[in-house]
Amino acid sequence: MLEKIARPEQIRRWDGDLPVRHRYTPGVAGDAFFTALKERGVLLGSRCESCAYTYVPARLFCERCFAELSADTEVGPGGELVSFTIVFQGIEGEPLERPETLGAVRLDGADAVLIHRVLEPGEEPLEIGERVEVVVRPENERAGSFLDIAGFGVVDAS
Amino acid sequence: MARRVAVVGAGMTRFVRRAQETGKELAWEASREALASCELPLDRIDAVCLTSAPDAFDGVHMKGEYLSDGAGAFGRPYMRTYVGGGSGVFTAIQAYYTVASGMADVVLAVAEEKMSSTQPHPQGAFLTIFDNILERPLGPNLLWIFALEMNRYMTVHGIDKRDIAAVAVKNKRNAADHPAALLGQADITIEDVLTSETLAWPVQRLDVSPISDGAVAIVVASEEAAKQITSDPVWIQGVGWNLDTAYWTNRDLVFPEYVANAARMAYGMAGVTEPRKQIHVAEPYDPFDYKELHHLEGLLLFDKGKAPEAARDGVLDRKGDLPSCPSGGLLGVGNPIAAAGLMKIAELFWQLRGEAGARQVPGSPERGVAQAWGDLMQVGTVVVMGREGGPPTTATQLETPPTATPGQSLSDAEFRSATGAVDDEIGARYAWDAGVAIGRFLDGLREGTIWGRECRNCERILVPPRMFCERCFRGTDTWKQVENTGVVQTFSICNVRWDMLPLDEPELPAVIAIDGSDGGFLHTLGEVKPDDVRIGMAVEAVWKPVGERTGSILDIAYFRPRSDV
Repeated sequence: MLEKIARPEQIRRWDGDLPVRHRYTPGVAGDAFFTALKERGVLLGSRCESCAYTYVPARLFCERCFAELSADTEVGPGGELVSFTIVFQGIEGEPLERPETLGAVRLDGADAVLIHRVLEPGEEPLEIGERVEVVVRPENERAGSFLDIAGFGVVDAS
Repeated sequence: MARRVAVVGAGMTRFVRRAQETGKELAWEASREALASCELPLDRIDAVCLTSAPDAFDGVHMKGEYLSDGAGAFGRPYMRTYVGGGSGVFTAIQAYYTVASGMADVVLAVAEEKMSSTQPHPQGAFLTIFDNILERPLGPNLLWIFALEMNRYMTVHGIDKRDIAAVAVKNKRNAADHPAALLGQADITIEDVLTSETLAWPVQRLDVSPISDGAVAIVVASEEAAKQITSDPVWIQGVGWNLDTAYWTNRDLVFPEYVANAARMAYGMAGVTEPRKQIHVAEPYDPFDYKELHHLEGLLLFDKGKAPEAARDGVLDRKGDLPSCPSGGLLGVGNPIAAAGLMKIAELFWQLRGEAGARQVPGSPERGVAQAWGDLMQVGTVVVMGREGGPPTTATQLETPPTATPGQSLSDAEFRSATGAVDDEIGARYAWDAGVAIGRFLDGLREGTIWGRECRNCERILVPPRMFCERCFRGTDTWKQVENTGVVQTFSICNVRWDMLPLDEPELPAVIAIDGSDGGFLHTLGEVKPDDVRIGMAVEAVWKPVGERTGSILDIAYFRPRSDV
């Protein structure tokens, strides 16, 4: 084998790309979830009675037993912080001006966990198991996007 | 000793231009139909085999993992395979060997494709199948490769384009009877095909299958399990797959030897010694109309160059002597890449059970063959399926195809305005190194010379050069300078770009066999009128001025007809 950079003057590279973009539509269950989020500011899940499991966001089918499901279960807005992380670096490895906190939350009435930002964690350190609440943006700011959810707010224990 | 394996259930979604369902939802719809067709709950499935074409087609990275829930893979042994367009038939082969080996008794095999997410055109994802250094600088699009193969096939055998167009007509008419079809058309004529827009001569718009979304699933079982599940199993009697060289410009473009190799493997396993008598129905791969004919010959069902006459004379019609693509094929039902291949397996299942409804071929066929083809035009995947003999048992016969054909189509406006839709760009950039052999080759081009590598074992001079011989699997021996002249093996007159927008001036891609070598490469022709180009034409390289050469395939500006012959 040749050492790849043994002859720097001989290095020859071709730059290229994959000239495609993508547009992903949310599907049958996703349509119900995002429409409810945009129009009513609520989060819909799907309950599978035979598996005793509630998915969120809503799903068309149960992956455990393959039953057809509908977006029949409103979950949250309260929930439990299952885990969290505090992010100090951006995607290129650059330091973030303000560290960003991400939480994994099991919303009340759901079995599946949802990931989103944790808003203004405040002075007190976050604790796994603590109560949080989904904060949905005001109706005039909602576009039918996962970002219509501003994030999870810590619920004051008092 | 391998165990006997049967297909016991099948299901599919509609094939549509643009599905409302996500890929996961499509996979689930097809899987649910397949399980329902043999009344199995998901918990009877021991393992799941999935296929979907390479990730860029959907823009979903690790599609196997992404689709796992819709394929019923939760908590099960699961593996995604793909061999490009050959994937759909290959996943049936994967299911076969998973069961035949004793690893599982009942397997769900699922094929899904959702190409509509890709903007502006899924061909953007196909561009990187071309060699990044020797071919992409020429600006190829996927149609080139088909047009070049089709032209050579037509020219060598003297085939009338009308006989090829007859395949598109047959399949789109057949598809009019398929409840899942995207492009069924009962009244289409050969004139419609011959007057459709010329994309890359000789390929016209209606010679080509449509980009589609859809999913197909089958249930495959061991003999013991199959007999518990159904009184009417359809046996997988033989499977085969085979690859040609990765250097497509070095291949025989007239006859798909890799399909013949795969067919021989499958026929051998199935005990088929006279395929023309023992195969009663065929589902060869038909992304383009000529490909169906090419593949029927590769499947050894017709002599070389003779399949077009069969298309012309009605032999391939649903009521002909060898019904071919009674489903309507990719040309009629649609071409969600991986799903289209598995659709052919499902069609044989329905045909052999006598359940194909309006599409049923007469005479209680006992054995069929399905085939797909892919990677860079080089893989053949073949499955032979059959009944034990005798007519189908009437107990399970249905009036209409046993598919509820779920799947909803989105209009362009719905696609653009869908709540929750996300636009994304991978934004990936690449830098490809030339490597050892091609690095030296490019140095030669800068000096106005063309070089090959000699393999003394098989006595070939390889162009493009490589440091190892893929046939002998040994290092090649020496550099040999070859001529700056060559012969046009095949060519196309291309009117569209990769995103299907029209070109101002047509391009003339050609495969040039380089004199003094055993190979050749893709380039373009110049200083010649499109109508004057002929296969067999002697050409010479036209070099860029020395000062403009950079050590690139574009140091050859183009090839032009030789003035000295």
